[in-house]
Formats: sequence, structure tokens, C-alpha cells
Amino acid sequence: MFERRLYFHVDWLLLAAILLLAGIGVAMVYSTTYIITPTGGRAAQQVWTQSYALGIGLIALLICLAIDYRVFAEHSLFLYGSLLVLLVFVLLKGQTQMGGQRWIPIGPFHLQPSEFARIGVALMLAMYFGENRRGAKNTSDLVIGGILTGIPLLLIAKQPDLGTAVTLLPVFVGVAFLAGLRLRLLAVLAMAAVLAAPVAWKFALKDYQKSRIVTFMDPEQDPRGAGYQTIQARVTVGSGGLTGKGFRNGTQGQYKFLPVAHNDFIFSVLAEEQGFIGVLTALGLYLFVILRSLEAARLAKDRLGAYLVGGIISGFAFQVIYNVSMSAGLAPVKGITLPLMSYGGSSLIATLAGFGLILNVRMRRFTN
Amino acid sequence: MTTNLMPDDRRSLTLRLGVLQYIVACTFALLAVGFWIFQIGQHEKFREMAENNRLRRLPLPAPRGVLLDRHGKVLVENQSTFNIALVREQTKNIGDVLRIVAFATGVDREQLEDVVNRRRREPSFRPIVLIENASEAQVAAVYARRLELPGVFYQQVPSRKYPASAVGAHLFGYVGEVTEPQLQRADYKDIEPGTIVGQAGLELAYNKQLMGVDGNKVVVVNSVGREIRPLEELPPTTGRPMQLTIDADVQKATEDGFAATGFDGAAVVLDPRNGEVLSFTSRPSFDPNAFTAGIDRSTWSALINDPLKPLQNRALQGTYSPGSTFKMAVGLAGLEEGIITPNFHVYCGGGQTFYGRFFRCHKATGHGSMNLAHAIEQSCDVYFYTVGNMLGVDRINKWATLFGLGVKSGIDLPNELSGLVPSTEWKAKYTREKKWYAGETISVSIGQGQVSVTPVSLAVYTATLANGGTRVTPHLVKAVDDGTGLKPVPAPKPQSQVEVTPEKLQAIREGMWLVVNGGAGTARRAAIPGKDVCGKTGTAQVISLQGRAAARTNRNLRDHGWFTFFAPRDNPEIAGVVFLEHGIHSANAASVARHILETYFAKKEGRPLPPPPTREQMRLDLSDRFARTGAGQH
Repeated sequence: MFERRLYFHVDWLLLAAILLLAGIGVAMVYSTTYIITPTGGRAAQQVWTQSYALGIGLIALLICLAIDYRVFAEHSLFLYGSLLVLLVFVLLKGQTQMGGQRWIPIGPFHLQPSEFARIGVALMLAMYFGENRRGAKNTSDLVIGGILTGIPLLLIAKQPDLGTAVTLLPVFVGVAFLAGLRLRLLAVLAMAAVLAAPVAWKFALKDYQKSRIVTFMDPEQDPRGAGYQTIQARVTVGSGGLTGKGFRNGTQGQYKFLPVAHNDFIFSVLAEEQGFIGVLTALGLYLFVILRSLEAARLAKDRLGAYLVGGIISGFAFQVIYNVSMSAGLAPVKGITLPLMSYGGSSLIATLAGFGLILNVRMRRFTN
Repeated sequence: MTTNLMPDDRRSLTLRLGVLQYIVACTFALLAVGFWIFQIGQHEKFREMAENNRLRRLPLPAPRGVLLDRHGKVLVENQSTFNIALVREQTKNIGDVLRIVAFATGVDREQLEDVVNRRRREPSFRPIVLIENASEAQVAAVYARRLELPGVFYQQVPSRKYPASAVGAHLFGYVGEVTEPQLQRADYKDIEPGTIVGQAGLELAYNKQLMGVDGNKVVVVNSVGREIRPLEELPPTTGRPMQLTIDADVQKATEDGFAATGFDGAAVVLDPRNGEVLSFTSRPSFDPNAFTAGIDRSTWSALINDPLKPLQNRALQGTYSPGSTFKMAVGLAGLEEGIITPNFHVYCGGGQTFYGRFFRCHKATGHGSMNLAHAIEQSCDVYFYTVGNMLGVDRINKWATLFGLGVKSGIDLPNELSGLVPSTEWKAKYTREKKWYAGETISVSIGQGQVSVTPVSLAVYTATLANGGTRVTPHLVKAVDDGTGLKPVPAPKPQSQVEVTPEKLQAIREGMWLVVNGGAGTARRAAIPGKDVCGKTGTAQVISLQGRAAARTNRNLRDHGWFTFFAPRDNPEIAGVVFLEHGIHSANAASVARHILETYFAKKEGRPLPPPPTREQMRLDLSDRFARTGAGQH
């Protein structure tokens, strides 16, 4: 299954950058969840959970690396179908936490299938567009691709987890764009989205979601309510300064002024404790990971590989950019995690598995 | 099954991947700029906001300096009370919090909302005291609900504790939250809203020394306002303890004396040698303890609407006709101006005609021929009509003023009034009539007419007679503790030194001795064997001042009674005045003075102090002289 010569083609730089980011993530989870006791303090359970997830994620990465991605692609329909079954199962039997029904308990772990949806959808779309021999893609391809993306998207949105659901869109757009979809079509799609916005505002969005957007525009309007998080995020980031307050010395994160700091706002805490220097370092690593992955897509020997990498990395890039913007109060607060860093086992495992596939495509660029 | 890329595809893909790379790179650059703006550009602003987020600055109110009596006995001290306070910043829904606090403590919710609304404009991280002087049960109830009440906490604060039974209330005054008008003033510029400051009496006069410096406690709190750990603590500096000139036992004797008579009024007792005030009383009184925890509206309105005016400090704000106590001033003026000698005799036949009008003596049958000392002893009006007429009002004014009447005493308490001793100049300047009529001088000669004095100025006048002409400045502070123990405060300079001939003054004193010890004296009740108490009674007619129509109750028609005194005659060490408002007879005032003097001497000589007198022991004369016609003075 694993040919020795492939070993020389693994992109060790990319892997190193990914592991570095995941390592920073564990450190930041440690910092934000540290428990202060009268006699000192200790690491919280979350740190261990995150560490185990990192281990499992590396195994997943290895598995996704070892098996030829074309094998995965051959079974993409099965994998895609299994994904839909899991998502339906979650809706019917899943565990409810924090107002969402997202988890399937497996022993001590809680599996969150939606986190794996991006990979499933990327694989399915890559297969669909990659195996289509026609050069230019037409409207019907767009519709079919849209449906393939839309089904899991709706299932996840229903949990409700709009944040995670939305991350499927860049996967679709990324694959479609690389597949040579006419820009005019994409423009029409974008136009439709703009036109749909007022309708969505009126019918689809819940009141709390509307207030989030309104208060994002003017957070001072409701500083204790919906604007609270945006203000606190800016204060957290801004108070970090050039060099930061130091590891575990960030007051905004440490004293819980920032809600779920170890999850959605982990980058804010990084900015507070490590300062602008830490931010540049992390942004640099993320940028490197994204550009390097796009490079892997360029080097791919087939369309399937290129599209697969493009889909996965588009979702990843969107998540990073949105979360980082939100961390500084530059985007409305939304439940989108920062891949590789945010606390969350399923997210970390799924992300690493995704990179397994990306490394896989690059590694097998010469094989036939 | 795989489809390798054709060259055309490859070109297109490379192009599109390039576009994606470009977009991502640009977006990251924009993000970096955004972080740069927040973290470098606006760092100061956000750093400060983060500080306010996590730090709760709690004021640690400084206990005020305790007040001791001249022998070191504690008069006014501090006790610990609890305040329940709220930091709005840490509260998501203030309405809910106030509702729970109201429910838990039994305090009216609207009242809590009032408190919060009044402080609405202050920064939201500054604690607002919701409930002052909370009971232990209230503190416990709030503590038990602490999880529902983020931002609500309790703090231990010192508060003032005054002697029970309202003893010395007007002397000590009271404390309260600094008022808006006070905050506007330059000398209050360092004081923050909500601070407790002196509002009357000594608390006001010596606020700066008594107040101390509040401390600060900075605690780190989390987003729900729970204290994580203390950061720094700057302990408060207690206000300076002060030793007063007041003698607690003499003060108590004064209050007891008043209580036994049942009358209102005022008394000031001092050491004529240096002006130290031994006791200072104004009645009716109030309970200053009611103010320490923030007085409630109903208690306050009851106090200010009380027709008896319990908040008025009668000892220095009440101006009354001095009646016959004024006669020494007239007699002394006559002697010093060379108009009479101590042996100058006047015949009293029960009255005499001046300027076509008959002025009667209080003794309708007449005193016969009397010299100065006996005229004082028996308070003969005709004698002083005659002397006053010979002097003229301006010379009376000159000597009365030199001895401290009609002017402020300069006592170290706020809002003293000056009283009035008329003169031709005064009449020309301040009245519509302008011209002084000689006939008016006759009334002034016996302390009636326009003459009015405060009890404290009459005490100074008596002290000046007692000590031979030194118009001492009454004062209340003997020593102040500056942190290294009590340091004596030098007595304020005398207001003036009057050049009087000792022999002439002796004639006046002889008369005052006879008042108490003579066979026909008007205050024999005040005599204490071996102490040679000297004194003078005085009755101030209320009816002639206010007019019968204005007087609503029988009480208001009764005369005021005065008794001024000093002792011992030859080396006076105590002097003072007792004023009984509507006390009917001045002899009743002498009864109070007697108890004061007995207590003073008993304490000085180490004898057991006399117990508080009963009403019977006071031997009050309650026959209402107004019922008789032709009230005079004696």
C-alpha cells in the first residue's frame, strides 16, 4: 500500500507547518482553559482531549496519505452517501449541546460529522467535475454540483450549525472555479446571492442572527448584548500590542471576558498573549500552508487531484480568513472555528485528514 | 480511470490557481493591516479598556477620626456596617438584578432603581452603593444568590457612632453624603461623589482633619464580576483623632439638667481663663446616628417640619432678648465711663417716668434706695433705667460689644449668628426710621428692645466679667493626633482685651455674688456652699417681641429664662449660661446651672458625681407670669 519511493515526495515543509500550527493550537488551548486554584493551577481536560485528537488526527492523516487518492475517489459516492446518513442520524439521534444537535457520542468521544462534510463534498465534487471530460463546464454541471453541495449543507444548517454549513460553499466554488466554470456563471451565482440576501434577511435569518450583523456594524449600540463579543474581541486583540502580554497572561481571555476563548476566539487570545508578532507568525504559517497546498494542486497529475486539493484548501482558507477576521472583530460573530488551532477533536481530525489527501495528491504527482 | 491533465487544461488550471493564490495573499495582507491598526495604532485605547475590564477598584472608606473628651473618654467613634454595592459594567440586565436584590433584601425596588438612576452618568465600572448599612441577614441573602447577581457585592465600611440619647448632637453635628453644591466648591475639589463628609457641627467644621484619606483595593474580576484574586491594596488613612475641650460628665450633667426640667433651650459652659468649652447643648435635639447611614426621607422631613426646629443650633443660631443679664454691661459702662460709682444710689419706687412715659420696675412696690451691687442682686429695673439713660445707647453699645455681646464669639462651629446691641449708627444705617429716640435707650438698659444675643455670646460675656476683661474665644478642640499622639492645639487668641479697672469690675461681681448668695438674690437656688457661685438671672418677654396674635400656643407665650454664672468668685474657672426656651422663670435655669456646677466641682474634687436630678429636685416654678399683668424683669 505504501511504496517506499513515495516517502521522498512527501511535502515535509507543508507537514511541518501544519504540525506547528496544531502545536500552537494545543498551547493556546492550554492557556485559555488553564484552571486557577487557590494553591496554584493545572491544565484543564480540554488540553488532553485536544492532544489525543492531534494523535488520532495524525493517524487519520497517515491513512489518507497512504491510500492512493484515486481509491478514495472511486469510493466517493459511498463516502458521500455515508456522510449523508451520518448527518441524518445526527438530526434524529444526535446529542444536543449548546442549542445545537451536532454530536454522536462514541465512547468517551463525541463525533461531529459536519466537520467531515467538507472532505466528503470535496471528494464528491472533485470526482464529478474531474471525471467529466468536457472542457468547459456548463450550467447543468453547476446545478448538479450545487445539489451535491446543497444536500449536506441543508442537513448541517438544520442542526442548526449555519457556521459549519456555510464552509461548504467555498469548497463548491473552489472546485467549480478550478474546473473552468465560466466566470460569467459564477458572477450570476454571486449576483443571485446578493439578490437573495434581503429575502434571506426577511425569512431565513433568526432574530439573534440579524442582531449579530446589525451590532457588528455598530457594536456600541448594544455593548452588553449582541455587540459584546465584537467589542471584547477588539479589546482583546488591541490590548495585545506589539509583543503581547505573555503566555497565560492575557487578561481578556484568562478572565473570560471573551466567550468560548478556546474555541471560536482562540486567535484573539493568541493576539492578546503573543501580540502582533505572534499574529504575523501564525498568519504567515497559514498563508504558507494555503499557498503550498495550491501549489500541490498545480502540480497534480490529474484533474481529480487538482480539484480535490482545490476544494479542501478553499474550505480551509475560507475558515481561516473568516475566523481570523472575526477574532479581531472585523467580521460578524459566527460559529466558525479556526482550523488546526481551535479546540475541537472532530475539527482537528477532519482537517488533518484533509491535509493527508493534499499531501497524497502532491506525493503521487509522478505516479501513474 | 484517471484523467491526466491535457496541456490546455494545465494552462487554464495554472491560471486559475494563480488567481486563487493572489486573492488569498491579498486577503492575508489586509488582515495583517487590520491587526496592525488594532494592535499598534489603537493599542493604548484598547489596553486601557482591557484594564477596566478586569480590575475592580473598590474604595476602602477611611474611618473618621474619633472624638475624645478632655480626659480622653471616647465621645464619637466608628462602627462597621455593610454596604451592598453594584458594578453596572458586570451586569447584563440591571432590571433583573435589582428585582432579585429587592426580593432578597426586602428593600423597595423603586428605591433601588432611584439610587442607580441618580448615579447613571458615572462610569459604569464605579461601584454604586445600593443598600447602606445593610443588615447581616440582607448581606447573607445577597451572598446566597451571588451566582444570579453578577456585579453585586458587599463591602464593610466604617460609619459614625454617636452617643445615645442625642447627647451633644448639635455639638458633634452629623455626617452625610457630599452634596452637589458642596462638590462645586473649590475646597471640596478632591472629594468624589458619594463620599461621606461632615454636614453640621464639629463634623463639618473639622471635616478636613476628621475625614482621613480613603484607600483602594484593586481586585481582579472575571467577566461575571467574581473576584479572582486581589491585586493591590492601599489601606485607608484614618482621620485624625481629636481631643475636645468638652468634659463628658459636665456635658451629661447639662443634658440631664435640661431633661429634668422638660424645657428646650441651650447651654454653653466654658473655662473663662482660656475659652475652652466644657459643655455645649442645644435642645430639642435629634439623633445624629440617623444620618450616618443616609437619612430616609420621612425622618428628614419630620425633622425639618418640626415646629420646635430640632435641627436649629440654638446655642449659636438662636437670638433672644438677654433680659436682665444685660444689666452688668450697663452697670460696667456707667462705672468705666465715670458716670457712676459703685456707691451710686438710685431710689426705686416701683417705676419711673422717662421722656413722658412711665417705665415700671418688676417689683411694683419698689426696691427703695439701692447701690449698684444690690441693684444687680435684686435686678432693680429703675436703677438701670437711670444709669442707661445717663449713658446713652452708644456707650452701652460700646461696652456690651467689648464684652462680646451683639458680635460673633468666634467659636469653631459653623453658621454662628451675631445677635444685636443697637446703636444710633446701627439705627441710621439699617432701619427705616433712622433716628434714635432717647426713650428707646430705657428699654435697652434692661436688655429689652432691640437687644438680642445668642447663648454662646452671653457665655463669653459672662466669662469676660469673670476673668477680668479678657474676651476669650470659645473653642472646642484641645489636641489633635497627627499620627504621633495627641498634640495640643494652642488656644485661639482672645477676641479682645478690655481695659477695666479691677475695683469697678469687683462691684459688678459683688452684685452677681449677691444674686446667688445674698438675702434678696434672685437665684439663691444656684448657691453651692464654699463655691461662691456668682450669677445673674434674666427673663426675656416673648409676648412683647412677637405679639400675642402671632403666638399660637400657650407654650409660645411663656417667657424665656436665662441664668448666667461663674464660679468661684475670686478665681473663676467655670462660666456659662443656661437658656430655657419658654422656661417661664429664670430661676428654673438656675436649677439646671446648679446641677452643672455641682457635677463640675464634684468631679474636680474627686467626689462621687451627683445623680441626674429628678423633676422634683429641680423645684420648678411653673406659674405663668404672663397670666399676670405688667410683667417685669428680674
